[in-house]
Amino acid sequence: MKKWVSLVATTSLFAGLMAGCGPSDSSTGGGSGESNGDKEIVFWAPFSGPDGPNMQKIVDGFNEKQDEYDVKLQIVPQSEYYKTVDLALNGQEDAPELMIMHGDQIMTYAEQDVLKGLDDIVGDTVQKDQYHENAWKGAEVEGTTYGVPLDIHPLMFYWNKDLFKAAGLDPESPPTNREEFIAAAQKLTKADEGQWGFALPTLWPQQFIFPTIVYQNGGTLIEDGKADYTSEAVVDALEFEKDLISKYKVSPENVQQDGELTLFLQGKNAMHLNGPWMLNQFEESNINFGVSTVPRLGTKQDAVFANSHNFVIPASVEDETTVTGIEEFLSYVADNGMAWAESGQAPASKAVYESEEFGKLKQQPQVAKQFDYVQYSPAVANWGPVSDPLFKAVNEALLGQKDVKKALEDAEKESQAQLQ
Amino acid sequence: MNEEKKSSFASTLPYERDDKKVSAMNERKKSSFTSFLFVLPYLTMFILFLAIPLFYGIFISLHDWNLISPNRPFVGLANYMEIFNSNSTAHELFFSGLWNTFQFVLYSVPLLVVIGLGLAMLVNSLPEKIRFLFRTAYFIPYSISVSVVAILWLWMLDTNSGLVNQTLIKLGLDSIPWLTKIPFAWVSIVIATLWWTIGFNMIIFINALNEVPEEMYEAADIDGASSWERFLHITLPTIRPVMLFVLITSTIASFNIYGQPYLMTRGGPGDSTEVLLMGIVEQAFELRQLGSASAMAVLMSLIIVGISLIQLKVTNRPEKEAKE
Repeated sequence: MKKWVSLVATTSLFAGLMAGCGPSDSSTGGGSGESNGDKEIVFWAPFSGPDGPNMQKIVDGFNEKQDEYDVKLQIVPQSEYYKTVDLALNGQEDAPELMIMHGDQIMTYAEQDVLKGLDDIVGDTVQKDQYHENAWKGAEVEGTTYGVPLDIHPLMFYWNKDLFKAAGLDPESPPTNREEFIAAAQKLTKADEGQWGFALPTLWPQQFIFPTIVYQNGGTLIEDGKADYTSEAVVDALEFEKDLISKYKVSPENVQQDGELTLFLQGKNAMHLNGPWMLNQFEESNINFGVSTVPRLGTKQDAVFANSHNFVIPASVEDETTVTGIEEFLSYVADNGMAWAESGQAPASKAVYESEEFGKLKQQPQVAKQFDYVQYSPAVANWGPVSDPLFKAVNEALLGQKDVKKALEDAEKESQAQLQ
Repeated sequence: MNEEKKSSFASTLPYERDDKKVSAMNERKKSSFTSFLFVLPYLTMFILFLAIPLFYGIFISLHDWNLISPNRPFVGLANYMEIFNSNSTAHELFFSGLWNTFQFVLYSVPLLVVIGLGLAMLVNSLPEKIRFLFRTAYFIPYSISVSVVAILWLWMLDTNSGLVNQTLIKLGLDSIPWLTKIPFAWVSIVIATLWWTIGFNMIIFINALNEVPEEMYEAADIDGASSWERFLHITLPTIRPVMLFVLITSTIASFNIYGQPYLMTRGGPGDSTEVLLMGIVEQAFELRQLGSASAMAVLMSLIIVGISLIQLKVTNRPEKEAKE
């Protein structure tokens, strides 16, 4: 009989386990939970890092201030975010009323008609001139606005002040153009001690670095649906990067994934290009670092590659009260986005980035300085997969596997095939 | 063998007690019902997480299934034809990924089997007291997740600041581009895989070695066989079924390689370590072409099944030969 008892126990335990495997709510970030007939607005965001609590703070503030609407922030981990969004938008799962979407994803979704055009909404409560004009460029597809900007995150320049001092450079004035950059990098390089002026990544974040140099050269990557990687601007960008390794010898060879970051964190790499999201990690390390706008490594103009976070509304949301509620929430975020700046990002709302409080921060004003000349990924759907061949070419050229021009020619053909 | 013995023992019990036939039949029914209950958990899991996804995957592969779009027209075998159309991107993605995966299987499987067996024999020949210690030590990495394994090796093998190259430099040797040049990138991925999974094969082999009857070794000793002859003529034939099991499971596991290259080399240099599963995941979740990605996955499983069958055929020759 004992056998039976234990069997039943095991089976029921098992059934319990199975139930636990069922679809469960994506982790709900806090939330007040007091739903007293308020209109509920479910809001999805991929902020599973230290930025999550900052967004929660803004949402809580809005929920406390008024009692008509109840915004529920649900955080979906970054790695699962767009899969979850896809399933929601094709009607397999309950879609949220409001979502965060990266600028480079908006076109892909807009083309599938799953996002609400916001031209009727923008203008009343949410006004265009409340935000930096370049922020809207990241949320438009063929003249229609699909998103309301939260922030813009361009590439940033970080440097190790102690190494600058030791090399006899002014730790408070980082290089601003190609010549100064190379000169500084050479002074900072002591190859025999394993110290480098600028360890150059061969993989991520080249997705931000390489287009930045191309744009600074006045070039483009894809124009009117045609990939053009063999223009002088693109070839020069890659040749310049390669020269940093082979001609100027300010970067070690064979830098692997995150190799340049490890060196920077160890204090063996003096200058580093990465996104503003790195701030927390750098502050937690014990390096004495500075952060500034990206020097002009190209030859023609100021430019920097950026992505952005935007609020978008699924096309399925039609209830007018809900839309009004969303408008009020977005307008609240525009005026009270300081909490978002605390995560290291720079909100695109003027009320925040022009404020005195914002100006006192270390990194964020430097981010906002670059708003005037940010450029985004080319206007094509599926930029990620389309650009893969390009970044493979960058990788191969920098690792000395392929000649610069040959690598870019091959990549151009591959990207073009993806575009058709 | 052991299992069979136990169950037949259980079913003979009622006869020994000299009960009536009816009760014996009841007993038997009850016993088969109990057996069914024992299988039930696995069966449920199997249906939920293997059978249903498998058939659903085949179903998806017959449709133009864009993850965002609600329209999913039936397209028959078009997704499969596209893979074999040498001008398509799907073709390039599938076959270059497949070739890279094949390379990994070729490099890793022989080592997984041979080193697994070698470690098992080494550990088995240790004194009883420390045997447990080593067995555990070799098995522990198996319980770590692939992301941790990949990051550990990523740091150790870092060209410019990794432990391995720092050591090489201290010894006056040149540093090695472990993750950025071929063939080193494959070497690194294979080393990380061995370190991660070898413990499992070792444990299986240890159990098999313990099953080899001690008397046979004693008899061989009396006949004056060398240790190599004992290994060749006693150990190997006895553990052959287990060896086959390890060979097939290692092959299947190696075909499913994903995490190590994804995290350690990102498929680089260029796309030389971009394995098939990386391509399938990209097709499914970046390009959102679930139909095409499922077709690739179905083809991949067919290839794995085919290779396992060949291994089974080639290795499992008639029992006679082994006995003679």
